[in-house]
Amino acid sequence: MPISAADPLLDIAGLATGYGKIAVLRGIDLTVGAGEVVALLGPNGAGKTTLLRAVSGLLPWSGRVRFAGRDLAGAGPRDTVKAGLGHVIEGHRVFTQLAVLDNLLLAAYDLPRGERAARVEQAFALFPEIAAKRHQRAAALSGGQQQILAVAQGLVRRPRLLMLDEPSAGLSPVLVDRVLVVVRQLREAGTAVLLVEQLIEKALALADRVYALARGSIVLEAKTGEADLPHRLEHAYLAATSRHP
Amino acid sequence: MSTPAASWRLSRAKEPGAASTIGAALPFLALLLIGVLFPLFGGGYWGVIATRACVYWVLVSGLNLVVGFAGQIAIGWVALLTLGAYTTSVLAAGTVTPAFSPYLALAIAAVVGAIFGLIVGLPALRLRTFYFAITTLGFATIVTQVALAWQSVTGGGVGVAGPIFPEPFDSQWGFYYFCFGLAAICTWMTANVAASRFGRALTAIRDAEVAAEASGISKPALLGAVFMFSGAVAAVAGGLFAALQSYITPDAFTLDLSVLFFIAILIGGRGSILGPLLGTILLTVLPEFAAPLVAWSTFLYAVLLLVIVLAMPGGIAEILDFKNRRPLESDRAIIPRPDLVERLLGAPRDAGALTLEQVALSFGGVHAIDGLDLEIRPGQVHGLIGPNGSGKTTTLNVISGYYAQQVGAIRLNGAALPVFARHRRAHMRIARTFQTPRIVGSASVLQNVMIGGTIDGKGTFVESLLSLPRHRRDEIMLRDTAMLALAAVGLERLAAARADRLQHSELRFTEIARALMLRPAFLLLDEPAAGLSAEEIGRLGALLLAIARAGTGVLLVEHHADLIFDICHHVTVLNLGRMLAAGTPAEIRSHREVVNAYLGG
Amino acid sequence: MIESIVSSGVAIGCVYALIGITYNVMFSASRVFSFTAGTLGMLGGVLGSLFIVRMGLPVALGFVLALAGGAVLGIVTEIVAVRPVLKSLDQHLYVLSTLALALMVQQFTAIEWSTEPQPFPRLFDIARGGFDQQFWLPMLACAAVIVGLEWLYRHTLIGRAFLAIAEDTYAARALGLPERGLRLASYALAGVIGALAGFAGGEMLLAFFANAPMLTFYGFVPVALGGMGNNRGAVVAGLLLGLFQQTANFLVGGIFASVAVFTVFIIVLLARPEGLAGRTLQRRV
Repeated sequence: MPISAADPLLDIAGLATGYGKIAVLRGIDLTVGAGEVVALLGPNGAGKTTLLRAVSGLLPWSGRVRFAGRDLAGAGPRDTVKAGLGHVIEGHRVFTQLAVLDNLLLAAYDLPRGERAARVEQAFALFPEIAAKRHQRAAALSGGQQQILAVAQGLVRRPRLLMLDEPSAGLSPVLVDRVLVVVRQLREAGTAVLLVEQLIEKALALADRVYALARGSIVLEAKTGEADLPHRLEHAYLAATSRHP
Repeated sequence: MSTPAASWRLSRAKEPGAASTIGAALPFLALLLIGVLFPLFGGGYWGVIATRACVYWVLVSGLNLVVGFAGQIAIGWVALLTLGAYTTSVLAAGTVTPAFSPYLALAIAAVVGAIFGLIVGLPALRLRTFYFAITTLGFATIVTQVALAWQSVTGGGVGVAGPIFPEPFDSQWGFYYFCFGLAAICTWMTANVAASRFGRALTAIRDAEVAAEASGISKPALLGAVFMFSGAVAAVAGGLFAALQSYITPDAFTLDLSVLFFIAILIGGRGSILGPLLGTILLTVLPEFAAPLVAWSTFLYAVLLLVIVLAMPGGIAEILDFKNRRPLESDRAIIPRPDLVERLLGAPRDAGALTLEQVALSFGGVHAIDGLDLEIRPGQVHGLIGPNGSGKTTTLNVISGYYAQQVGAIRLNGAALPVFARHRRAHMRIARTFQTPRIVGSASVLQNVMIGGTIDGKGTFVESLLSLPRHRRDEIMLRDTAMLALAAVGLERLAAARADRLQHSELRFTEIARALMLRPAFLLLDEPAAGLSAEEIGRLGALLLAIARAGTGVLLVEHHADLIFDICHHVTVLNLGRMLAAGTPAEIRSHREVVNAYLGG
Repeated sequence: MIESIVSSGVAIGCVYALIGITYNVMFSASRVFSFTAGTLGMLGGVLGSLFIVRMGLPVALGFVLALAGGAVLGIVTEIVAVRPVLKSLDQHLYVLSTLALALMVQQFTAIEWSTEPQPFPRLFDIARGGFDQQFWLPMLACAAVIVGLEWLYRHTLIGRAFLAIAEDTYAARALGLPERGLRLASYALAGVIGALAGFAGGEMLLAFFANAPMLTFYGFVPVALGGMGNNRGAVVAGLLLGLFQQTANFLVGGIFASVAVFTVFIIVLLARPEGLAGRTLQRRV
């Protein structure tokens, strides 16, 4: 390992996790450097969402996960958020019975009062379309706006790394682009992003590096500039294993 | 029908056989002996306690089927005890009607109990657990209040005299043997039910309801039978209770008593006969050992219940389950035997195809399935793939009757399948497995697989109760078929193991064995490869091909592209509820749009 | 006569409504119902009598201590009977664990306090008669709780956090909300509301351990009819229940009144298992 390389912001080694008896991930090695955008691709059922859940503490895991030099063993979601690791879960799940403003205030739950209000205003400044609806119930927002609200929730705590789980899912192409513009803004502001996406081309356009996850382990790691990448990805996804009936 | 299985018998050591049956019977025989000899060493006071334990057990044995086996939280069953006590006493006393013989009064009470058992129990079919528990509590209160108010019949707060049974049952020990005999009969009957397809079906309703439905088990019919039986024996217990007390008043039927019955079952362990029997004896006898304990008895029962729920939900039965403490083999492999598949399924019959015609279904505003045509032919493996949210599992759920399509038809050999009739699918020989294995954890693997063949049993509930020949023939047939199915999928060595000790992959194959019990014309599999290792996926593929070769039409909903491309004869690709492409695996693999959709381009 | 039926009906209806709200607050925080709701009501009356009559403490102090006792039982319920079973695969264990806890508290009260109803103190030194305090105290308590909960949910962050947990526990957890602490706080709050119901209704119901099973049932009817987690529904249903019960009491006498209530309850529930205001469930396979 080169001596001059800085320690990665997120450093995962040998991660294994699953649901009850079902093992989903084995031996995952993955890093995200400060300010980097890393895309995590893979077919359905590969375990991408499971990986994010393990890292943010929603699922128990074994192996080693270090974030900003800190060991995350035993940390729950509250701890990881406090440490600067945000997780925007799949499905644009916001609290529909509460106002948009309340959704953001709750994201800042642990912060002192004055700071809370300031952070929320900053989030609104980034996303004017939801600022306009601040007092409306989140149920009144469209799917895309709810997704933007969910991302805004993730940003209220000013995380150093934000993990996004399929932010484009279920959105129209226009809104997908809007969301991905946000990701670009994040990168410019110095926030690292771990982006799980189904839309390969769009993800490759944004990311610095890409991992492909299939059948519970990493099958490819590359920089996005590399030649022949889409073909290599396809091969990694659909590659038949060596056994035949 | 039993020929393929009967002609093949695996006499390997792991099949639960005669030796374990004798082992299981020993504790009961010991209790029988103690009970018969009891008067020789027990004194008069203990005779009353022993008689009381027998009377309580008569009620608890029936309630055990409701609470322990069917998992219905019927807390207020003392209502049936009250009903039986008053019915028997009033009829025998001759104050309102001409005096009946106590035996006839008891029999009539049993009928009344059966009817009210059904009335109290039926809300369970409509209400959620907590709601049902509350309604049974309400019933218990109401019955006691009515007893208090209906003075002309029940004597109100003053009460009535209990029935007196004629010789030889009028002496203390005579009456003891009468109650003991009835308790023994109840033990025998409920043990018969426990070891029958009805007992297993009850546990399936309790722990794996969707799997029970898919196996053709009708919850209303079965629960109805069990509530009636339970109500009848509870009423009989009431009559005996009244005779034992000699005089009954409404405040003899407290909620505490109801709690005692209920807790005895939970302490004993669900799905067991011996456990609740020991539990009943324990709870009846315990307060007698220390005078101060009597006042605190209900408090102690409640503490016991809490401890059991938190620390040992399996109860006494789990403590006594020695054979399931022995470690299982550590390097187990699942090795299916495709040659046995043919023997199990028999010769291919021509069932016609299963077709979907322009089926559509929306949830809210989302088109889960949007105009889908699909044809599953017998003898072929048809793969169904697509990204998340493409409608694969929804399609499978519509075919198996869990959802109803809003547009279009599903036809089996031309005839339209009824919507929402998920427990009729088994009768049409359409079987399925589930994304997460739905099994009865506390039952053995063999019992779980036997559940799959429930509808092939011919004996009625009453025949099982009395262990008549047809019930015994059913059991042999189901057991042999299940062992064959387990051998076919490669799990016969785990037949006797408790299902919750198995690894995830083994549970998946168990579900397939259970589905095969139906000799299905069509087998629908919901992501069976999830969580399996590469070799296991290979063996699964071989198994599914063997099943198809035997004439079954297999629908395979999967994420694992490898499995799909290896074994499917046809593949349909879904995206956003519509068919994106259909054809042979080779055609699909090179189809540009498919690759894009699958990868999400 | 009508006045008496209406005032007693509305008063007892308010007690039932408050127990229903107790059930609902626990349900919103954990998705389960607890048998201890009725026991909390009983405890409010018993503790009030214990502190004020037996121990001679001033009314205000006795009131606060009774509510504190309710909070304690609420917290114990969460820690002992709910939290351990939420993780379990067996979804219905909570019915048994909360039942066991409720029984323990009821039996303990019966043995250590009394098996007979004991007097509950007169809280305000006003002459009896007319629209007596035993009627307007429960109404006042019910109104205070409704207003209080509205304020909590609308104007405090913790109240909104309760609503978030009630709507989507998983999203709340992922956002970093202290899910466990919030659930514990909800149960403490529910404990206070239950104890308040029993305290305010003490002059009507007296300090009697057998109020527990009675309130367990009658307090659940508003929940069943008004819809799970629906506090407004619980209040409306509670008031209707109280009026119906008192009317039936007057017309056919106490015992047949209970039969009438129960029969109507069962029929309504069988016709609409989700309650009159609830939405139907969707199947999940």
